[in-house]
Amino acid sequence: MSRHKIIHNLDLDDELDDFDGGDDYADGGEGDGLTEEDQEHMRQGTIDVRSNLPPTAANVTDKQIQESLWHYYYDVEKTVKYLVSTVEKAQKVSKKATAGKAQGGLFSFASMEICGSDAYTSLGSVGGRYLQQAEVVGGDALQFQRSSFQDFFHDTPWLNIPKDREAIFTPPPHPRGGLLGGSSEGAPKMSKLQALAAARKKKAQEDKSGSNTGVETPLANLKIKDDVPPSSNPATSHTALQSRLSKPTSRGFPTRKRKDSNEHEKVNKPPTPTRVSQPSTPAFPEVTSEVDQCEPSAFASTMFSNRPETSRHSKNNYFTLNIAANTSVTAANPFAGPSPDDIVIAAQSKANGKENKKAPKTNGEKRADQIAAGVEAIKMDDTPRAKSKNLNVLAEFEKAKAKNAANFVVIGHVDAGKSTLMGRLLYDLKVVDQRTVDRYRKEAEKMGKSSFALAWVLDQGSEERARGVTIDIAMNKFETEKTSFTILDAPGHRDFIPNMIAGASQADFAVLVIDASTGSFESGLKGQTKEHALLVRSMGVQRLIIAVNKLDTVAWSEERFREISTQVSAFLTAAGFQSRNIAFIPCSGLQGDNITRKSTEPAALWYKGPTLVEELDNSQPASRALSKPLRLSVGDIFRGGVQNPLSVSGRIESGSLQMGDALLAQPSSQKCYIKSVELDNEPADWAVAGQNVTVHLSGIEEQYLKVGDVLCSPSSPIKNISRFTAKVLAFEFVTPMQIDIHRGRLHTPGRIIEIVAVLDKHTGAPVGKKKPRVVKPGLVARVVVELDTAVPLEAPSRVVLRSGGETIAAGLLE
Amino acid sequence: MADRRRINGPPGGTSAPVYTKYLAKDPKELPERPTRVRPNNALRKLFLKTGVTPSASGSAYLELEASKNPKSTTPGLASLSTSGLKLTCTVHGPRPLPKSAPFSPHIILTTHVKYAPFATRKRKGYLRDSSERDLGVHLETALRGVIIGDRWPKSGVEVIITILEGEEDQWWGDDIGGSNTSAADWGMMSVLSGCITVASAAIADAGIDCVDVVAGGVAAVVKDSGSEGISSTPVLVLDPVPSEHKEIVAACVVGYLPARDEITDLWVKGDIGHENQTESATRTSSYEQLADNAVQAALGAHRVLVAALKETADVKLGRL
Repeated sequence: MSRHKIIHNLDLDDELDDFDGGDDYADGGEGDGLTEEDQEHMRQGTIDVRSNLPPTAANVTDKQIQESLWHYYYDVEKTVKYLVSTVEKAQKVSKKATAGKAQGGLFSFASMEICGSDAYTSLGSVGGRYLQQAEVVGGDALQFQRSSFQDFFHDTPWLNIPKDREAIFTPPPHPRGGLLGGSSEGAPKMSKLQALAAARKKKAQEDKSGSNTGVETPLANLKIKDDVPPSSNPATSHTALQSRLSKPTSRGFPTRKRKDSNEHEKVNKPPTPTRVSQPSTPAFPEVTSEVDQCEPSAFASTMFSNRPETSRHSKNNYFTLNIAANTSVTAANPFAGPSPDDIVIAAQSKANGKENKKAPKTNGEKRADQIAAGVEAIKMDDTPRAKSKNLNVLAEFEKAKAKNAANFVVIGHVDAGKSTLMGRLLYDLKVVDQRTVDRYRKEAEKMGKSSFALAWVLDQGSEERARGVTIDIAMNKFETEKTSFTILDAPGHRDFIPNMIAGASQADFAVLVIDASTGSFESGLKGQTKEHALLVRSMGVQRLIIAVNKLDTVAWSEERFREISTQVSAFLTAAGFQSRNIAFIPCSGLQGDNITRKSTEPAALWYKGPTLVEELDNSQPASRALSKPLRLSVGDIFRGGVQNPLSVSGRIESGSLQMGDALLAQPSSQKCYIKSVELDNEPADWAVAGQNVTVHLSGIEEQYLKVGDVLCSPSSPIKNISRFTAKVLAFEFVTPMQIDIHRGRLHTPGRIIEIVAVLDKHTGAPVGKKKPRVVKPGLVARVVVELDTAVPLEAPSRVVLRSGGETIAAGLLE
Repeated sequence: MADRRRINGPPGGTSAPVYTKYLAKDPKELPERPTRVRPNNALRKLFLKTGVTPSASGSAYLELEASKNPKSTTPGLASLSTSGLKLTCTVHGPRPLPKSAPFSPHIILTTHVKYAPFATRKRKGYLRDSSERDLGVHLETALRGVIIGDRWPKSGVEVIITILEGEEDQWWGDDIGGSNTSAADWGMMSVLSGCITVASAAIADAGIDCVDVVAGGVAAVVKDSGSEGISSTPVLVLDPVPSEHKEIVAACVVGYLPARDEITDLWVKGDIGHENQTESATRTSSYEQLADNAVQAALGAHRVLVAALKETADVKLGRL
C-alpha cells in the first residue's frame, strides 16, 4: 500500500479520539485526575515524608512534598533526601535566586493573560505585553505619559514608519529550564541583569512586608491553572503580583481585569440595570427614547477616533490611521461639471461646425431667402459645398429662349442600319469631321467591315466595334436651325432590350429604322421592329418617324417602299399610333440620300417628301413638366475627376435643379448636394426637365447610389414602393408569374400577384370576368405587381414587364 | 462554485474550539445563555459614523453593542464571548456607466453584501454565498425607492457592505449537543436591518439625492426558556439578539421612511399564524403587529441616523 493510500484511509475520528485521550492524560498528570489508589499512595507518602523531614526543612509545603513524591514514584527516602538538599541549597544560594524565580513566574503569568484576552485588542495587548516586559526588564527606563494604547498608536502611519517610532521588541525570556521539582544542580543560572533586577525587587518586597520568606513563591506562581480567586488566598505572593500588575496602570496603561475577555464591555458603560419589570406583558407603545448613539467599541474607536492631535510629528506627511478626521468631507457634487458625453459632443460639433444643422428644403422654385438660410449652415464634408446662386430657374429658362430641345431614340431591328444612319446624319451635319470618319473607315476596312465605318461614330466601345452591333445606348447631339437634338442610338439586338428601354424612356419621339432589303424587312417585322415599336408606344412615345433604310439595295423601288409603308402603318395603327404621327422616309444611311439632302439618284426621284432632318425639325417640342417636383433618374455614375469625386448623369424627368440644391437619393434615402451642373459638357448653373444633365454631387458616398436610382427634391421625395397596380398592354400571355420590372435604367425582379381585370382598349372599362387567370397578347389588363425590394416609383410612370428575355407587357403605373 | 483563486482557510470555525467534554465536567461552570437585560421595547445602542473610507464617495460604519451576561462567572474564553454587529459600508458613485452598458434613463443601483471571512463563528468563504446575495437583493429593494434615480441618467452607484462582525443565528451553546439545529438564519434579519441603516447613511454621505433616509428595524416574537426548558408564552421584542433567546418564532425586518411613512422593504420569517386561534396570544403575535413594531425599531434607528448625519454636516459646515 502506498503512502498516499495510507493517508487516504486514515480515520480522522480515530485520530482525534486518540488525541482527546492524550488530553485526558495530561489533565490527570496535573494531579486532579489521580486514581484513588494513587491518591491513597500520595496521602500516605506525604505523611511519611513529613515525619522523616529534619527540622531545617520543616517549612516545606505539602505541595512540594507531593510533587517530589510523584517525581520519585512514592519513594519516601529519595523524596526526603531531595527535599532536604533543596532546602539547604535554597538557603545557601543568595536571595537573588529567589527573586529570579519570582520574576520567571511573572512572565509566564503575563503571557497567560494575553492568551485569554480578546482578539480585537490583540494589537494593543501584544504591544502592551512587550512594553510591559521591556519595562520590567529595563527597570524604569521607559516613562510614558499616556492614557491608552490607542493614543500610543494614534498618529502612527500605515507605512514608512519613521525610525524613531519603531518599537524595539525584546523577546520574552524563556521559562526557566530544568525539572519541575528541581534537579540536583538546582536552579539554572541567571543573567546578571536578571539577578540585579531580582535583587532590587527583593529589596522592595522586604521593605514592604518583610514577612515573606519567598521560598515557596516560585512554585506557587508556576502553577499553570489559575483557578484560585485572588481574594481567597491573601497570604501568598499573589497579592504582590497583583500589586505589581497594577503598577503599570499608574503609569498610564489601561486597567485590565483578567477575567474579562470582552473588550466591549469595558468601553461601553455598564447599562443601567433597568430590568424588564413585567416580561410577559407585551405592551409596545413606543420605543423608549433612550435609543441613542452609543460610544464606539474598542475596535471602532481605534479605527475612527478623532482625538486632538498630540503627536510629536506633523501629521501631514503620513497617511495616518485616524483617517476619519481628514476625510469626512467627501466631494458633495460629483455632477457639477459637464458630463463626459457633453464634452465630447460639444467638441465634435465644434469641429464639424454643424451646431445649427437644419434640413434645407432648397429646390429651384423655393424662395431665395429660404434657400440661403438653409444653405448657409450646411457643411457636410471637407469639400466645400457649392453656394447656390439662388436662381429662379424657371425665369432663367424663359429668359434663355433656347432652341427647342428634343431627344429621340433610334430603334429598329438589328442590322437595320440605325447606327450608320445616325453616323451619316452626324457626318453630314458636320458634327463629326471628315478626318475622324476617314480614320474609322480605314480601321473598319482593316477589320473587314468597311460598311460599319459610319456606325463607329456612335458605337465607341471596342466590343461594339468588334461585334458590329450596338450594345448600350449611344448619345450624341446635333443642332438644326430650330432645334437641338439629342440622339439616343438604341441597340437593336434582342439581348439588349433593357438598354433600349432605358434609352426609349428618355425619348420624346422615335425614329424607327427599317431595313428595306429583301427578306430583312420581313424578319425585322417579326423581330425587334415590332417589339421596339410596341415598347416605345408603351413608353409613351407618340410620334414615330419611319426611315425605310437601305433602299439603294432594292434600286430605290417605290413599290417596295409602298409595300413596307402599308404593312408597317397597319401594324403601327394597331399598336396605338395615330396615323398623323407617323411619317415614312425612304433613305439610304450608307450613301446619305434623303437624310440631310434630297436624293440625287434618278431612281429615287419619285419621292417628293421631306428629308429626315426636315422631318425631325417638324416635330413639335414636347411639353415639359417644369413645375413638378424634381425627378432625375440616374443613368450613369462616374468619377467626374479629382474635384468631383462622384458624378451622375441622367435625364431630368420633371422639375428643375440648380447648383447648391439639396437632393435626396432614393431608394437609399441619402441626402446629397449639387456641387456643380454640366449640360452638354459645358458648366451650367441650372437645368430643367427634359435635359440630359451631368450633376457633380457632394455629401454622399458612392455606395448609396446606383444606376436606376432617382434623385429627387427632399421636400417632396419620391417614395419607395414594393407593390403597385399597373394598366398594361400584354405582348405575350400574361399570367401571375415572375417578371422583371423595367423603368428607364431601373430594373428589379418582382412578380405579378394578381390580374385584376381585362380592360377595354379604348374606354378602359373592365370587360369579361373578374380576376382572369391569363391575359392574351394584345389585350389591356390591370395587374398588381409585387417587388422583391422597394424601389422609387410613382404613379404616372411607364413600366415594362419582361420575363425570360422577352417583353411580356408594358404599361402605366396607376 | 468553488473558489479557486485564493488559498482558503479550513472551513471550520474562526475561534478556538471548545470541547464539550471539558465544559460538561462541572454543570455549575457551564456557560450560560446571555440574557436580555434591556426592556422588550428598547433597542441596542447604536454607533454610527459616516465618512470612514476616504477613497469612497460615501461611507459609513455601524456597530451594535454586544449583548452581555453580567451573571457569567465562567473563565473568559474569547470563543465563548458574544459579539455585536459591525458593518462598514462604502458607496461608489454616482459615476458614468461603462460604455458597454446599455442606456439607462435613471441611476443603476448595485448592492453587494459580504461577510468578512472572520465575521461569524463559522468561517465564510470569499465568494458571496446565497445568503449574502439574498441580503444584497433585499438591500437593493430597500434602497431603490429611496434614491431619486432620474437625476442621474447613464450613471451607476455601487453600495458595498462588508460585515465585519455578524449577528449570531443562535446561542453557540445551543448547537453543542446537536439539538435544536433548526436555527434559521435569524441573525440575517438584524444584519439586514443594520445594512439598510448603514447604507442609508453612506448614501447620504455620498451626496446622492434621496426622498428620505431609510432606516432598518427588526422586531421578533420570541419564546424564552422558562423554568426547566418549558418555553414560556411568546413575547414581542424589538431588536432581538438571537443568542439571547431560546427560540425565535417569527421575525420581521422593515426598511422604513419616517418622513413619508412608507416601507420600502419588508421581510417576515417564521410562523405565528396558527397561534392566533389560541388564547391571549392574539394581541401579541399578528404579522401586522410584528411589522408595526419593526417600524418602531426603525424609527429608533432613524433617530441615531439623523444624529450621525447631523454630526457629519456640522463637520462639513465647520470646515467650509
